Order: sequence, then structure tokens, then C-alpha cells
Amino acid sequence: MIRMTDQGEKFAIQTLDLKKSYEMGLITVHALRGVNLKIRHGEMISVVGPSGSGKSTLLNMLGALDTPTSGKILIDGFDISRMGERALARFRNRKIGFIFQSYNLIDRSKVTKNVELPAIVADMPKKLRGRRVHELLDLVGLGDKANRRPNALSGGEQQRVAIARALINDPAFILADEPTGNLDSRTGQEIEHLLLRVNKETNATIVIVTHNLELAEGTGRIIHLRDGVIEKERVGLWGHGDEAA
Amino acid sequence: MVVFDLIGLSFGALKERRLRSGLTILMVLIGAALMTSINGLGGGMNNYISEQLGTLGANVLIVTPSASAFGPEAASGLQTKLTPQTVRTIERIHGAKYVIPSFTGGGTLKSGSETKTVSILGMDQSKTVYIAPKVSFESGSFVSSGDSAGIVLGYGIAHPSNLAKPFASIGQAVFVEFSKVENQGGVEKPVTKRKAFQVRGILNELGTQSIDNVAYITLAAANTFFEKSSVYDTIYVITTSPDMNDKVETSITKIYGKNIGVISPKAMASTIQEIMGTFIGFLSAIATVSMFVGAVGIITTLYTSVMERTREIGLLKAIGYTKETVLLMFLTESFTIGLLGGVLGLAFGVIGAYVLIGILPFGVGAMRVTPSFLPTDLAQVFLLACALSVVAGIYPAWRASTLSPITALKKE
Repeated sequence: MIRMTDQGEKFAIQTLDLKKSYEMGLITVHALRGVNLKIRHGEMISVVGPSGSGKSTLLNMLGALDTPTSGKILIDGFDISRMGERALARFRNRKIGFIFQSYNLIDRSKVTKNVELPAIVADMPKKLRGRRVHELLDLVGLGDKANRRPNALSGGEQQRVAIARALINDPAFILADEPTGNLDSRTGQEIEHLLLRVNKETNATIVIVTHNLELAEGTGRIIHLRDGVIEKERVGLWGHGDEAA
Repeated sequence: MVVFDLIGLSFGALKERRLRSGLTILMVLIGAALMTSINGLGGGMNNYISEQLGTLGANVLIVTPSASAFGPEAASGLQTKLTPQTVRTIERIHGAKYVIPSFTGGGTLKSGSETKTVSILGMDQSKTVYIAPKVSFESGSFVSSGDSAGIVLGYGIAHPSNLAKPFASIGQAVFVEFSKVENQGGVEKPVTKRKAFQVRGILNELGTQSIDNVAYITLAAANTFFEKSSVYDTIYVITTSPDMNDKVETSITKIYGKNIGVISPKAMASTIQEIMGTFIGFLSAIATVSMFVGAVGIITTLYTSVMERTREIGLLKAIGYTKETVLLMFLTESFTIGLLGGVLGLAFGVIGAYVLIGILPFGVGAMRVTPSFLPTDLAQVFLLACALSVVAGIYPAWRASTLSPITALKKE
């Protein structure tokens, strides 16, 4: 693996002229046209932009779910755009926690099972797993609903379960794709506060893709994406987690 | 990832679609049960044939007046009368060690108030051991040649299954009744002959109907009582060794042509078993096909399941489940279907074989076929169920494993 540095400083996440294009029939869609992004350790940033601006594509790249057409993604200085499928899976498992708009919980499994899912492939011992699950459920305020099934929980509660799941392997990065997109504004705020708390307590680097400006303003930095490039970036109005910025 | 976790996840997925999983398991179950039942019946029939014909010595040939009961020979009426002269002729054949003539008759046996319809065999009882080497006595002994009032009862006669106490015991008198039609001055009338015998011996159970359910008297007594006029019904030929059977058989047919029947019980058993084997093999092949149909059922069920669970699979891949792990998860699901279908199939197959025996004609009457299950057959069915289910799972599992993790992020 190639270790890259930028003026001697190692960023949590750094993209270098990141490009991604898809073939859709006869036309080529340029989803990302050269994104240069630097995110420091422990930073909490949001990516905003209209539909089709490339937000989700960028998040897929940062989350090692998809590989770029050209350019580099350095995470902790490692170029993940060159890693193989198996190494990427392991990387996602140990380093990244995902939070989705539609929670993506498995309805047939209990809350505890959902939370421990990433820990199972990480070969975490069963005892430790159980302890971690309960710690995290307490953290997200669902200690009393451990044995419920997701479909018996409210949307906000389901997203809390998803956050607990994202945290189980103690990831360095948390990537959230419209985490409040399916929630009413009050519940959305609760989730926002929870994410801020997670950022503070675990010092994980958090990247949130969102349409929700209120949520975006709460993060340290806002990246505006348009037509596959960064249009502008600014500090969040009441930004937290901007100590590093 | 521990095997235990893998099984847990697969079970959860199967339970979520329990009706569909259940029906798929049923498909495998039916195939496995059919195979088990048919194998069990086949084994039972084989055992039955061996039991019935296997108690006779390997060097026994049975000579009857006609080659077959049906067909042109029987219709032509060209039968060889088996007489003392026939016995002397066969005795001169090279390879024939003992030639034992016998009379057969049917009659009613009366003991006290009980009555029983039996076959009666009249022969020189001291030679019995050559025909059926395994014959032994529960009590008493054979009737000596000069004892025209002595009778030996087979186990099945002395201990009928429908009576709590023995039908007759040693030293007791029993009556044999035999009905025939007699010509009295140009008019034919039914006449019942009756004679008293004393029970001299009772045989141990052999499991062969043709020995257990027969009463034995001397050759002379049968000749007189059944009015056979020294025309024998069957002649048993004991050869010097089983290798001589064919030679002796050829010599006999050379003398009497096609108008005589010569059967080697061992050869007969193997012929019947061969025919049975072919038939059972054919049925078994059909059952195997149904197992393959079950495998196709697994493919359909699992494939549908994969299509329905794309988001779930995408999520698993996003949170770090590798291709191999996802593949393994789905293979475990199909294996679980095969395992359950196989185990239940074996159980229902064993039960089914007994039920079939009850329904089908070979369970009726004196013929008692008991299904026989060879461990190797059971293992074969079980392994086939498991192996086919895993093979059937490969395609759906592969489809699942190659799904992109991005599917989890797609908006609904």
C-alpha cells in the first residue's frame, strides 16, 4: 500500500482529483468530476447539494463501497482505491460505521442481533459482543428495548439501533447517508444530538450527506457539491466538532 | 465468523419465510421418504425370499411332475408320473446322493375343540435333515418309518398366533380329516376320511411358511390315507455338492424331457431376487427423480429469497461481510433445508414402508414381509439429500455473494 502525505500532515480522509463516471446505455454520466477533499481526524462534516450533485457517489467512495474511475482516496494515508475486494470488506468492517436513511435493519432479528451483526464477522468473542451491544444500546438510549424487533420500534428508535450497530467495532469513521431523511424534525434533532455526542465521546470522524440544512449547520464544516465538484465550503453556523478545523 | 453464528443467521432467514421453507423441506422430504420406503420394501422382500427358500439346503433339487403349472406343457397333460421307478432311475444318476420321495395333501387338523387347515407332507423323516438342515425340535422327535400313527407338527401349527395356548402338545391325539369325491355306483359323492394320529414331535420356528405350517407323517401313512397309489407329488434330490446341481438337473431332463420339473431353490431365490431387484431399482430411480425435483425446489425458493433480500445482502456486504461469507450463509440455508428434509424423509420413509406393507397385497395372509433398512441405504439417501441441497444452493448463493454493497444505500 502506498502511504501519501500532504505537506507532512496526515488527514483522516483525503481525496485527490477523485473522478467517477458511469456508463448508462450510450451516455456516460460523470458523477464526480475531480473532488479534492481533506478531512481531519475527529472532524464532523456534512456534504450538501442538490439531487444528482454526486453526494451519494462521493459517500460510496469514502465508504469503500465503490471504486473511483480515477484519482485517489487516502484514508489514514492508505490508498483504498487500490485495495482488493476482500481487503475492502475487512476495511469497511473494522474502520467504518454506516448509517443509512432507511436504517437497513433486519426485521426478523432482535435489536441485539442487529447491533452485533458487524461484530460477528469481526470475530469478536461472543461474551465481549454481548457486553458491547448493551453498552451501546445504553448509549443510544434503548437499553430497555434490546429484545424487541425493529418493526416494533419508531423510526427514531430504529435509527438509534442503526447508530449502535455502526459503533460496535469502534470505527474511526462514521458515514451517514441522509440519517434524518425519514424522520420528523424533532426526532431528526435527537439523532443529530446523538451523532454530535458520538463524535465527541468516540472522537470518530463523521461525514454526513444530507438535504437537511439544520443538521448540516450543526456540523463543523459544510461541503457544497454541485455537478460533481465542490462548489464551496464553509463553517457550520452553530458548528460543533470544528475544534480541529 | 463462527459456524454457530452462521447457522443462527441461516435459521433466522428460513424461519422468516417459514411456509415457503417448510414446503421446500417437504419436497426434499418426499423424495427422501420415497427412496427410503422403496429401499426398505425391497430389502424386506429380499429377506422374505431368502427366508422362504434359503432354509432348504444348497444341494437340494425339487423334482415335480410337470415343468410348470401353466403353459403348453401343463395344458398338454404330458406329465411324468413320479413313481418308485422314477426314484430308482434318479438314484442311478451320477451326483445324486439321496432321492427322497414325498406325498403332499391338504386336510383339517382337529385337536380338542380347535380346528386348523394344514398341509400334510408324507416322507421318510430321517432324511429331513438333508432337505432342510436347520430343522430342529422344540420337543419330541421324528416319526420312524414304521410308525403309521405318528405326526410331527410345524411350529406354526402347534403355536398358532390367534391362540393363547398351544394347539396341541406331545403325546396328544389329533385327527386329520380329508375330503374327496368318491364314485359310488356311477354317482359322485363327497366323502370325508378321518384318521387319528399321535403327536410325536413339534418343530422349532424356522420362519419359512412351507416348513412351519406343515404337519409331517410317514411316506406309507400318507400313501394310504391320501390314496396316492404310490404316485409321488414331489421328489427331493440331494446332490453330492451344490456344484453338481446343474449336472444332475441336466441328466434328469435328458431322461424325462420337458415333461418334468426340476427346480433348484437357491437358483429360484436368486432369479426372483434378480427380478425384484430390477423392479425395486426402477421404483428407486423414480424416487431419485423426485429428489432432484426437490433440489429444483430449493433453487427456486432460495433464488426468490435472494431477490427479496437484496437490501439485506447489500447491508451485510457494506458492513464488511465478504463474498465468501455471504456465499456460505446461503449455502448453509440450502444445506439446512436438505438436512431437515433428509432426516424427516428417513423417518417418514421408515414409517411409510410399514404403512405400505399394510396396504399392499404382500402384507396379507400368512406372508409376512417386514421392511428391512440397510444402514448403507439410509446413509446414501441422507447424503444424497444433503449433497443435492448444497449443489442446488450454489447458484442462488453465488448470486447473493456477487451483489454489490451499494444496493444497501439505494433509496427506497
